[in-house]
Amino acid sequence: LVLVFSPLPPLRGLLQRCWGRLERGLLPGFSGGQSPPWGPALAVQAPAFLPQPVNDTSESNEAPSLFDSILWMAAPKKRRTIEVNRCRRRNPNKLIKVKNNIDVCPECGNLKQKHVLCGYCYAKVKAETRLIRLEMQKKEGGPFNAPSVETVVLYEGEKPPEKDEGKRIIERARKRPSWFVQN
Amino acid sequence: RWLAAGSLFPLSCIHTRTSLQKIGKWEKKNRIVYPPQLPGEPRRPAEIYHCRREIKYSKDKMWYLAKLIKGMSIDQALAQLEFNDKKGAKVIKEVLLEAQEMAVRNHNVEFKSNLHIAESLTGRGSYVKRIRYHGKGMFGVMKIVRCHYFVKLVEGPPPPPEPPRTGFDQAKEYVQQLRSRTLVHTL
Repeated sequence: LVLVFSPLPPLRGLLQRCWGRLERGLLPGFSGGQSPPWGPALAVQAPAFLPQPVNDTSESNEAPSLFDSILWMAAPKKRRTIEVNRCRRRNPNKLIKVKNNIDVCPECGNLKQKHVLCGYCYAKVKAETRLIRLEMQKKEGGPFNAPSVETVVLYEGEKPPEKDEGKRIIERARKRPSWFVQN
Repeated sequence: RWLAAGSLFPLSCIHTRTSLQKIGKWEKKNRIVYPPQLPGEPRRPAEIYHCRREIKYSKDKMWYLAKLIKGMSIDQALAQLEFNDKKGAKVIKEVLLEAQEMAVRNHNVEFKSNLHIAESLTGRGSYVKRIRYHGKGMFGVMKIVRCHYFVKLVEGPPPPPEPPRTGFDQAKEYVQQLRSRTLVHTL
């Protein structure tokens, strides 16, 4: 037997208690959670609360906190019609706004946003950087072996320039890409 | 079966019910063939219908994207979808590129940029109900939701957007309505 999650257990217990009190005639004008007309909710309902039925021992801890809050717990009064729902969902502030900051990348011709790097060019650079890093890993051979000197990347047919004397050289077995300018 | 078809009927392929259960109405719209146009008529712009079925996305969320690209040129629509973060944007972009390819290859469209989106709709796909586990042994029933996306591309530049209705237009229409009233049940 599986319980369905429709009514809250404290609420069901509360309703049972309300109807029980109706039968006993304690609060004759009170049905289903409304406050009685002659007094504030808390004061009148407190003495009725003391003789608690034996069944509700498990719910006795939660009931005082939720019994008063049940009176002002927000709940929808009526079903929202589809017209009202549509007005809310199709309101212009919920529609997606058209972006006017899209340009063409001058390098590759793909689209890019004005304040963001071109995705294609960035992916190109990222791929090449990954290969350079693999070469560096192969040269170093393990973690924590990074040299204390700078690194220079050289492509096919290039000699190390004079001013980069003491730097570590990483060789890449391909032609220098057009976008990787040497100095 | 194919032997019998070859001997009895002149057509070599017959669409039987067993192949590809149901061809949707949107797919069939691509099959209509108009009679040849007379020399004086203005050129009928090419219309390309394309759709994708059973996309794992909500039709309400997809509707916002469909509303975004309604009435745009195909290049502008692709640009907007590329920089949109929604999951449906990627799907719609693929659909538009497929439709553009179809247009150039099969539907005699000269320039692939000369297309605009005449209609873009979403529809409800098939839903599956599953159990969603809550605390305290409670459970709820959740729906795994799918949607269809339909698009109609038409050759030509996009139509200019309608100017918004001003108060003057509304007043003019009201006066027109008053003037067009007739007396009923009289001489």
